Amino acid sequence: MDFAELEAVEGLRWPWHSWPPTPSAAASLVVPTSVLCTPLHPAAPDLLPLLPYAPLRCAAPGCGAALNPFSRVHHASARWACPFCGASANPFPRRLAPDALPAELFPTHSSVEYALPPDPAEAGSASSSGGPGPPAIVFVVDAATAGPELAALKAEVLRVVQGLPEGVRVALVSFAASVWVHDLGFEGCSRVVVINGERELESNKIQEFLGVRHARYNKLAMPRFTKVQRFLLPVSECEFNITSAIEDLRSMSACPRGHRPLRATGAAISAAIALLEGGCSPNTGGRIMVFTSGPTTVGPGLVVETDLGKAIRSHRDIFNGNAPLTDKAREFYKKVANRLTAHALVLDLFACSLDQVGAAELRYPIEVSGGLMVHTESFESEQFKSCLRHVFKREGVDYLNMNFNATIEIVTSREVKICGALGPCISLRKKSSSVSDKEIGEGGTNYWKMSTVNSKTCIVFFFRVDCNHNIEPPTVFFIQFMTRYRHGDGSYHLRVTTVARRWAGPRSPEIAAGFDQEAAAAVMARLAVHRAETYHVRDVIRWLDKMLIRFTAKFGNYVPEDPSTFRLSTNFSLYPQFMYYLRRSQFIDVFNSSPDETAFFRLMLNREGVVGSLIMIQPTLFQYSFDGPPIPVLLDVSSISPDVILLFDSYFHILIHYGSKIAQWRKLGYHKDPNHENLRKLLEAPEVDAEALLADRFPVPKLIKCDQHGSQARFLLARLNPSVTQKTQLSDGSEVIFTDDVSLQVFIEHLQELAVQG
Amino acid sequence: VDVKGLPRPLDGDEEPVKVLESYPLNCYPRYFRLTTHAIPASQSLVSRWHLPLGAVVHPLAESPDGEVLVINFGSAGVIRCRRCRTYINPYATFADAGRKWRCNLCTLLNDVPGEYFCALDASGRRYDTDQRPELSKGTVEFVAPTEYMVRPPMPPSYFFLIDVSVSAVRSGLLEVVAKTIKSCLDDLPGYPRTQIGFLTFDSTLHFHNFKSSLSQPQMMVVADLDDVFLPLPDDLLVNLVDSRHVVESFLDSLPNMFQDNINVESALGPALKAAFMVMSQIGGKLLVFQSTLPSLGVGRLRLRGDDVRAYGTDKEHTLRVPEDPFYKQMAAEFTKNQIAVDIFSFSDKYCDIASLGSLAKYTGGQVYHYPSFQAVTHGDKLKHELSRDLTRETAWESVMRIRCGKGVRFTTYHGHFMLRSTDLLALPAVDSDKAFAMQLSLEETLMTTQTVYFQVALLYTSSSGERRIRVHTAAAPVVTDLGEMYRQADTGAIVSLLSRIAVENSLSDKLDSVRQQLQLKLVRSLKEYRNLYVVQHRVGGRLIYPESLRFLPLYILAICKSLALRGGYADVSLDERCAAGFSMMILPVKRLLDFIYPSLYRVDEVLAMGPDRIDGSLKRLPLTMQCLDTGGLYLLDDGFTFVVWLGRMLPPELMNNILGVSLANFPDLSKIQLRECDNEYSRNFMKILGTLREKDPSYHQLCRVVCQGEQPREGFLLLSNLVEDQMAGTSSYMDWILQIHRQTQS
Ligand SMILES: [Zn+2]
Ligand SMILES: [Zn+2]
Repeated sequence: MDFAELEAVEGLRWPWHSWPPTPSAAASLVVPTSVLCTPLHPAAPDLLPLLPYAPLRCAAPGCGAALNPFSRVHHASARWACPFCGASANPFPRRLAPDALPAELFPTHSSVEYALPPDPAEAGSASSSGGPGPPAIVFVVDAATAGPELAALKAEVLRVVQGLPEGVRVALVSFAASVWVHDLGFEGCSRVVVINGERELESNKIQEFLGVRHARYNKLAMPRFTKVQRFLLPVSECEFNITSAIEDLRSMSACPRGHRPLRATGAAISAAIALLEGGCSPNTGGRIMVFTSGPTTVGPGLVVETDLGKAIRSHRDIFNGNAPLTDKAREFYKKVANRLTAHALVLDLFACSLDQVGAAELRYPIEVSGGLMVHTESFESEQFKSCLRHVFKREGVDYLNMNFNATIEIVTSREVKICGALGPCISLRKKSSSVSDKEIGEGGTNYWKMSTVNSKTCIVFFFRVDCNHNIEPPTVFFIQFMTRYRHGDGSYHLRVTTVARRWAGPRSPEIAAGFDQEAAAAVMARLAVHRAETYHVRDVIRWLDKMLIRFTAKFGNYVPEDPSTFRLSTNFSLYPQFMYYLRRSQFIDVFNSSPDETAFFRLMLNREGVVGSLIMIQPTLFQYSFDGPPIPVLLDVSSISPDVILLFDSYFHILIHYGSKIAQWRKLGYHKDPNHENLRKLLEAPEVDAEALLADRFPVPKLIKCDQHGSQARFLLARLNPSVTQKTQLSDGSEVIFTDDVSLQVFIEHLQELAVQG
Repeated sequence: VDVKGLPRPLDGDEEPVKVLESYPLNCYPRYFRLTTHAIPASQSLVSRWHLPLGAVVHPLAESPDGEVLVINFGSAGVIRCRRCRTYINPYATFADAGRKWRCNLCTLLNDVPGEYFCALDASGRRYDTDQRPELSKGTVEFVAPTEYMVRPPMPPSYFFLIDVSVSAVRSGLLEVVAKTIKSCLDDLPGYPRTQIGFLTFDSTLHFHNFKSSLSQPQMMVVADLDDVFLPLPDDLLVNLVDSRHVVESFLDSLPNMFQDNINVESALGPALKAAFMVMSQIGGKLLVFQSTLPSLGVGRLRLRGDDVRAYGTDKEHTLRVPEDPFYKQMAAEFTKNQIAVDIFSFSDKYCDIASLGSLAKYTGGQVYHYPSFQAVTHGDKLKHELSRDLTRETAWESVMRIRCGKGVRFTTYHGHFMLRSTDLLALPAVDSDKAFAMQLSLEETLMTTQTVYFQVALLYTSSSGERRIRVHTAAAPVVTDLGEMYRQADTGAIVSLLSRIAVENSLSDKLDSVRQQLQLKLVRSLKEYRNLYVVQHRVGGRLIYPESLRFLPLYILAICKSLALRGGYADVSLDERCAAGFSMMILPVKRLLDFIYPSLYRVDEVLAMGPDRIDGSLKRLPLTMQCLDTGGLYLLDDGFTFVVWLGRMLPPELMNNILGVSLANFPDLSKIQLRECDNEYSRNFMKILGTLREKDPSYHQLCRVVCQGEQPREGFLLLSNLVEDQMAGTSSYMDWILQIHRQTQS
């Protein structure tokens, strides 16, 4: 089975393509029955028709499934039968005669997209033009950023503002010790409303301060101020004011010696949310883009005190329960996340700093709102600039290339129960008969919300099988994913993907044949990361090992008690290796990263599809040599050699590693000599390939070029299988990794020993 | 008794310059005036005197003979008595061939520093006495060395707190304030160190960023009144030279910025806290422009109004004192941080001057009151008085102490200041428009010295950034004869001190009792004198009073009829009454006397004269209806207001020429603006107003026109100021004299 080909049609990856019908059999699979869903997966137009009407939905109470290729239509009685609930009395419009079958009934269209007509209920609530107003973007700028950095940031933000579609509404919030909300509609001078950075204020209090909500005591005063439009205006109406406001931002980074600048990041975010809560309907959608260069040192979300003598929390502090500020900040950001979700707002973080900024604390609201997290060292860096420009890329269209206010709803056959989701979404806690009591991640619902979603967003949904033992199980089950979202052009779309899979007996070979080890690794990685939020990494590794041993014990072929007989069939064979690299990855082995970096890595893993996740777990390594075209080589220290170039891709870093000989030749400038044309070509090839990788990925990875034995090579060495260590017998010229970690070979040997013990 | 023959102070204040004949080394009396230039030798003499024993000090009065000389002692240091800290002065004597000097206040023999040594002549006088102002003049100024500083001298700094609520916008106040401040920028003292800043407010606070690099002014709104904070650490109070263009651009746009504001609220209390936070590092002057009752946040005030039922009860005085301790506490904080507060109040409704004024009272500031301000009418007055406030020479971060020789001691002080210890007056800012009064008491039952010395020392920072001490020294004889005390009495100083005491008493007592106390003092004093006189001269039933006190009965009647103390509920609005009280607490003697007994001139006869003869031809008239001819045009001047009274029979031509319009076409005289018109009468009339205004630049008289018989305006504006006439419940001058006479004989 070609899983990738199937994915291109359905947008789904299944660790198991056939599910056993009983809960106990399903549990024994170790890797859970789950689906990696990319709700808006890109598909060729002939595979994904865009239908200009609303779907026919099953009228049975609690079902609501959309008409799909598995529905049986009785043209004679003008009825259609729902494959999910069995209801057969759904009316089928007569005008859809057999010769004009709607596209959603075609078997090739497992996914269709509806362009929904405007919802009259929403039309009245917002702008007069009907339908919700254009999306809003709040730029939240850290004015405690040092002068040159701030200048670079201002230039980039200005560039973005000038490139926005005219209708997009914008607001500017800047902050240092206090929070400044810039009035973009005031004439005569620049006006800002300043909010205390130290206090955690209720949203309505902030709105009262902004003058967009009447204070208790002056209901009669200030009718002019009732319009939030002063602060949030279409870019076409406030271009001059927002431009000069950005230009006039001054660095407020000055602070006493031995102290960090005051930064009220949390209060600024809260003010930005309050502004949008007061200024746009929940259907509109909006982004809050935070640009910061340091940690929050004042007010809500505080992560470290200003005193430089006090260090920001480390992983160790967090594990030891010695990070009280982190706990408080997380509590605050949990509330922030709920406010964001309730109003369909996205929170993005662009952190440009050599030090941590508190991304670990900020992760939750960013993650569940589908926001971006970008880490670079400087606002002047190409990495930052290209990331920001990428967000606003729009090929010739006059709207933002962004989707807002998405919900995803799942309908299942009655034997399939929904446990929950891991990914950039939040549970709306909407129970239905297909919702399981057992919760995983965002559970207790068949309805999730995402403030934004794009064509790459991937969510893992977990299911539980629950066949009625008394009745012969049906042969197939169905799952339908319905993703409703606001397209960048303002219209609402509904993507419906309906799939069917087979039930298979517990011992049926179909189960093993339907195992997708890559998908399984991606699911296990998300589960592990999820566990790591509550457990010590040591326990997570233990759990991963236990699961792997159980898994190999179940699916390996061996003579009990004899490790030498152990074999795994091909579609299982890579799985232990994935688990080995996962254990050593930055997601689990956090001690080489800061909590901020870990937060970033985990956030990215949680929204990435199978292909990307696999690169994150087990980076790819290509070798470039004079011997021929580039070839993939083992992610092993033995792949390092003085006369080859390696291209290493760990998703977050792309590293070109020059063998010591090649490096020497390059230093001597041989590649400039026409006689050494082949060296020049060899040097060029990985660079070209690296550029291609960079162009395709977001956030843009960091490109590192290093020579063998150079200090930057540590990014590579940390991820290679230490088949050769300081303890190994040395051979000339080979690379050594100084570590006590076990090598892949040793790991597999241990695993086989344990697996065969039964 | 003949009414016409009663004494009237038609020449105003009589400065007791004759003191200088017997004490030529004394400072000019305008700096320091005793209520009697004869210190009683015994306690019993004090108690027979009945009038207050004390002094009026006007430390920065305009010098009568040019600049005050500034002395820098250099390395010798300021020469002061080791024991009592008196500064060297003309009354110090030298001994031991010039190596020692004797303190005239405490008699201690001090060493003369080597650098200051000078030989003595045969009479024991230093040879250099005439070359050294400190040894020959009663008033000098010393440059203070660094040990007189707790910090580097502060730059002059002006911070403006401006109410921009709807009433301020609609009255045109903002425009006048902005234009006036802008026109003064070149003349603010202290160039190039002057600092300036602004905070506007309504229901929110608006900070203004004056960072010199800004292209346009930036307004930062803080609405969080419960927890006031500064939106910026700096750039709210900036150097004027550096940020001049931003400040000017702000002042240009200030009226427009708020032209659409319809906010009716006033968060003055939070605004004051914010201003304090901005200014606390440097200090300076805080000018508050308030046009409505503070309604939000800390320090919000109640419309406690002017309750007719409170008058005559024990609660009457509570209306005249602050209800909320916030303002006094704030004032204490301000003073501690060298901030002086001036209140400019503009409300057309009650705005609790009693509370607001306490900010000025305890910080050495002053209260300006413009009831029902309208730019068209009051604009010139505000413009002039604000300019005066901003451009007059000001002494910064100052303290004043008055030392006196053995046996006497100043006990109570009356004026605008904060008493830092028993005898040290903290004055964050002080200028030539402020005078202080104080009462003296004897420490011993019997004085043994012949002469008592007084020394006023004002330590301050000049606008140029120099720390200086202004020193006034005076001597007065000790007398054992009560008659001598009467002979040396200074009515101006007595009236000044009495009126301040009366105003203060009105803060804890009914107006009626305050007036009764004044009368009682007068009666007792005259009775004492009568007893003295009767014994000596055996005269019968005539009212007798010493020549020096001949105007005292009328002045005391005038105090009782002053805005601050007159009548009851209906006679003066509470705010006006309080505002007048605050003014009376700081006025120098001359201005006070002119305020309580205004000048009345007949003008119509003068108008036809040549312009150069006008000034000399203006004659003050007694303040009585009897002086008013129905065919005449009169002008009343109390220093704050001109009242132009048009007699019923005044030729219409003259009237029309002066008003510039026909009265028939302009029935509402309250709105009329007197401007120079193209005719002789008008030009001369305006010249008269100009001349009178020039005589004292510290205030600008608001000109109001009233017709004879135009009620109730005539009553409020003119008749109530005719203090010699009987008005509802008050005595005429004649009745008053008869009443006093009767009482002195009983
Ligand atoms: Zn159904
Ligand atoms: Zn002495």
